[in-house]
Amino acid sequence: MAIDTATDVPATAVASRAGLWARTPRGLITVTAAVVLLFAFSAILAPSSVTKGPLLGMLPFAAVLAIVSLGQTLVVQQGGIDLSVPGAVSLTVVIATHQAAGDDARLLPAVLMALAVLLVAGAVNGFVIGRLGLNPIIATLGMNALLYAVVLWLSGGIPRQTTDLLANIAAGLTFGIPNAVFFAIVATVVVTLAVKRTVSGRRFEAIGANPVAAWAAGLRVRRHRTGAYMWAMVLYWLGGCLLAGILNKPTAYQGDSYLLPSVAAVVLGGTSLLGGRGFPVATALAALFLSQLDSFVLALGVSFAARTLVEAFALAIGVALYTVDWKGLRTRFLGSGKASAAPPGAPAAGP
Amino acid sequence: MTENTTTMVATEATMSLVGISKYYSGVAALMDVSFDVRPGEVHALLGENGAGKSTLMNVASGTTQPDTGTITISGQTLEELTPSLASSLGIAIVHQHPAVLPDLTVAENIRLAVPSRFLDGTGSRREAMQAMLDDVGSSAHLEDRVGSLSIAQKHLLELAKALVMKPKVLILDEPTAPLGQDSVQLLFDRVRTAAAAGTAIVYITHRLAEVRELADRVTVLRDGKYRGTMEVAAITDDELLTLIVGRQLESTFPPKHHSTEGTGTYLSIARLTGPGFADISVQAQTGEIVGVAGVVGNGQSDLMAALAGLAKFEGSITVHSQERSAKDLRERAAYMPADRHREGLMMTLSVRENAAVVALQRFVRSFFMSSKEEVSTVGRELTELSVKAPNMDANVASLSGGNQQKVVMARALLSEPALVVADEPTQGVDVGARAEIYRILREVAEDGTPVVVNSSDAKELEGLCDRVIVMSRGRVVAELVGEEVTEARIVAAAVSATAHGSADAQQVKTTTRRSTRLSRFLQGDYSPVAILAIVMLALGAYVFSQNDRYLTAFNTTAIQGLVAALGFIAMGQTIALMTGGIDLSVGPLSGFLVVIASFFIGVDSAFGQIALGFILMLLAAVITGGLNGFLIRYGRFTPVAATLAVYIGLQGLSYVLRDGPEGIINADVMALIKTKVGPIPVAFIALVIFAFLLEGALRYTRWGLTLRAVGSDEEAARRVGVHVNRTVLLAYLSVSLCVFLGAILLMAQIGIGDPSQGANFTLTSITAVVLGGTSLLGGRGTFIGTLLGAGLIIQVLNATTFLGLDQWSTYFFQGILIVIAAIVYSQVRGRRAVV
Repeated sequence: MAIDTATDVPATAVASRAGLWARTPRGLITVTAAVVLLFAFSAILAPSSVTKGPLLGMLPFAAVLAIVSLGQTLVVQQGGIDLSVPGAVSLTVVIATHQAAGDDARLLPAVLMALAVLLVAGAVNGFVIGRLGLNPIIATLGMNALLYAVVLWLSGGIPRQTTDLLANIAAGLTFGIPNAVFFAIVATVVVTLAVKRTVSGRRFEAIGANPVAAWAAGLRVRRHRTGAYMWAMVLYWLGGCLLAGILNKPTAYQGDSYLLPSVAAVVLGGTSLLGGRGFPVATALAALFLSQLDSFVLALGVSFAARTLVEAFALAIGVALYTVDWKGLRTRFLGSGKASAAPPGAPAAGP
Repeated sequence: MTENTTTMVATEATMSLVGISKYYSGVAALMDVSFDVRPGEVHALLGENGAGKSTLMNVASGTTQPDTGTITISGQTLEELTPSLASSLGIAIVHQHPAVLPDLTVAENIRLAVPSRFLDGTGSRREAMQAMLDDVGSSAHLEDRVGSLSIAQKHLLELAKALVMKPKVLILDEPTAPLGQDSVQLLFDRVRTAAAAGTAIVYITHRLAEVRELADRVTVLRDGKYRGTMEVAAITDDELLTLIVGRQLESTFPPKHHSTEGTGTYLSIARLTGPGFADISVQAQTGEIVGVAGVVGNGQSDLMAALAGLAKFEGSITVHSQERSAKDLRERAAYMPADRHREGLMMTLSVRENAAVVALQRFVRSFFMSSKEEVSTVGRELTELSVKAPNMDANVASLSGGNQQKVVMARALLSEPALVVADEPTQGVDVGARAEIYRILREVAEDGTPVVVNSSDAKELEGLCDRVIVMSRGRVVAELVGEEVTEARIVAAAVSATAHGSADAQQVKTTTRRSTRLSRFLQGDYSPVAILAIVMLALGAYVFSQNDRYLTAFNTTAIQGLVAALGFIAMGQTIALMTGGIDLSVGPLSGFLVVIASFFIGVDSAFGQIALGFILMLLAAVITGGLNGFLIRYGRFTPVAATLAVYIGLQGLSYVLRDGPEGIINADVMALIKTKVGPIPVAFIALVIFAFLLEGALRYTRWGLTLRAVGSDEEAARRVGVHVNRTVLLAYLSVSLCVFLGAILLMAQIGIGDPSQGANFTLTSITAVVLGGTSLLGGRGTFIGTLLGAGLIIQVLNATTFLGLDQWSTYFFQGILIVIAAIVYSQVRGRRAVV
């Protein structure tokens, strides 16, 4: 299987780098193109969806989704998947509204308390997955139920008015742009720098790509893995806080609508569900794409149902862009015309 | 031998390959290669790594389809060769990496790979299988899980599977690489016996000595091109070598260290004891390379892991008069593992990232890393080691074995290690790269960093090392220094030490897993069933003691009804998990099917319309299952991504059909579905029977074997002739059919077409399967466990109402149950995190 593709390569080539284009992640290129195309379509087919009102309505939710998806990216990079997103976001929302109880002065202690609870949850996730070897799906599924138990215990399932201060911070505008967008941009920049330009971040990616090899090379696998689940929680917390401020009266189940889209954004961004390299910028753009898609379809006057269908298609096509061997298909189909004379035993369908 | 061959020239070839070419994304792996093998001859296939030997044999055994060329077997020219056709034509292959399924037992592995006609003889099948194992000298038990066997035992199993089929063509791909000296002799005997019986044998190897000892003819490949075929007796080693490497190798090994008195010791290992080895002591003078030798599996690799700080040890390791703990060594020792793909490289990352990963700290400028610094330093090191790659951003997986090993070395050297630990550094590496690896190791030692090399190749140790310890049963049986380091001395020491009872050599490794009946049960698939049953009884007793209405007929009937719907869906989920996948779409599918039903199985519907409704439900299930399977196998989606997309899509479809709860289900149909026998719903009885049928099928039918085989190890399953695509597609179809059955019951429970219903079943079904003890890794599981898991979930939800607990407690108990169950099972089975 190891075909020596490099026999004709001069020995000095290895000291050089690939071209800038070749180094730009495919996911980033694809997602950027998709976002540009989507906004172009929106402007042509449903001009109302790119006017100020709908954009200002869409962007804060896109920002929350982007931040939550960044957290999901970190977990996916470690070959995991975090099903505790709904519980974590909902709990933050509930603590931020119920504990603060409309009192600005109690807001800070409330959100800090939410952060503390989430960090504990993240640490437990990391512990049972990293140290006890539980499957991430099971562990985070259980953690989600436990977080929801706390949500319902605290709130009894009753929505509560959000605090003015939080509403001002999260839903306010600066230079005409929703504040939440700035939070999302800062979060994306911080995550990108942390993963790509720090020692821990680079090790983090290597551990995600092959934990066994990373361990044999002396890296601290468990610490980085646990870190993924804890930092993810910090991002869910940030997303939850913003959501609690954006919505006037958030319910106890507010986080439910973030699980599937967060995974979808990660996948569209090109991060492999098998772990390894992550693409934070592409993930954030994918979140913008999904949110604008919602608002575009809404402006077309189609029901919620059609929106969901379009999302499913976008996800399927997004994945197919990365997984299907398009080059192979092209040669097979385009080549089949002239190659019908080719001997039998043509390559069988992919695995 | 020679006389034999001359008479055989006239005989027709058993198998002949003519003009075979194979390209992988434009790169030639084989170019116009021809090869044939005659009855009764041993035909060696020689060449460097990447020369195309294994590809050629994969073509011959049907695992790889060539782009051009013809395959003729016993005079019959074949259009297309598949693994199953190949095996029916009598071609058997023993792969370099054994094609065995780790989660299946030895007996199941044999049943899967060997057609039953070869096992039907005078005695029972069990006796036949036992005889197979005895024939190759394997000591494995038929009921052992193959995952727990040593590498050598797996190879012997592989060989046994091939030999029992009395193949016309037997292909052996580097069979001796993992075997110890005694097993090698046994293997050679078997090969000679088979050849004498008329089998045509293809013997792929790296070792000239084996060609001389065994083969009649030899064919050499280089860079995917045919270099020639000749009688072994008529060619010298040097001539062969010239054909293989295409240039005269002057000296493969660098000159040895010239010990000068008084340079001192730079490595001192004293009374080192750890898992797999005991009481190891050795001292190396500065500049010496220390070799570790012995029959494979005598603790050498364990010792290497300990030296790299990856295992606990007692005793001391002193490097440059500084004693190092295991923790120090893990950080400061550079480890070059034998299994590069698993332990050495991050295959999805680039050459640069792989090389730099341990030395990243060196490139930090102020707070962030300097990319310029990294590129220049890593580039210098890679050039130094003459790694061949298009550029440093190339994916490391695209490199040849030798270059990959050099990337591992580059990483080791960049980390400025205190000690270099190389385990089989040249395994799977071509001759040219070998010489460079030897040179680099020698330079490292000369520069004052101790180097320890473990190798199963005594010749390699003779050429490379200044001091060799020979291990047997985890202990040092000889230490050879300077002139004493010769292949003959090493082999003699290793073999003579194990002469009395070779099984003894395995003792160190195997004693720890000698299974008792209890431990076998605890680690088996059915321990969760027992645990769940106890928990359910205890919970039932407790709730009953608190509330005596708990066991009324009304409540038990209600519980069983709920279990039935969840149970069928969870059965489906079990099938998906068994393949190593997951089906997230089961929940929305069940809801969607009920929505479909609400249009056809309405209050006033005629019989024909109702029948049509069921048919459409079935059809929708089949399409969904097919789509999942298709996306996963042909679209190469991960199961999570594929079924997630289908999940969202099905939810959308439900809402397209119904805005909200609408369309009452026909009462007669509902009543029929809810029929009871006494207090027990018929549906529940059906579920129990269904679970037992599936369980039986899983253990005893080919469907079950292939299902678990694919989940256990897809590649190995493919190689033993399992149709992986078909199996997985069928599995996801089966999942959807189970969901169809569950949806019928769900329909009777909801009684209306509600698009918001059903989605919850996805996570609940996963919970049920996990409680039942099925592994999410695939290959292992039980439907009976899933049945009990579904029962426990419903019981707990039901109990919270009887105990008067709030809504939050149902979440709490669900969460705590799944986590505790998962932790308990993983601990009981001793299956911890990989790292």
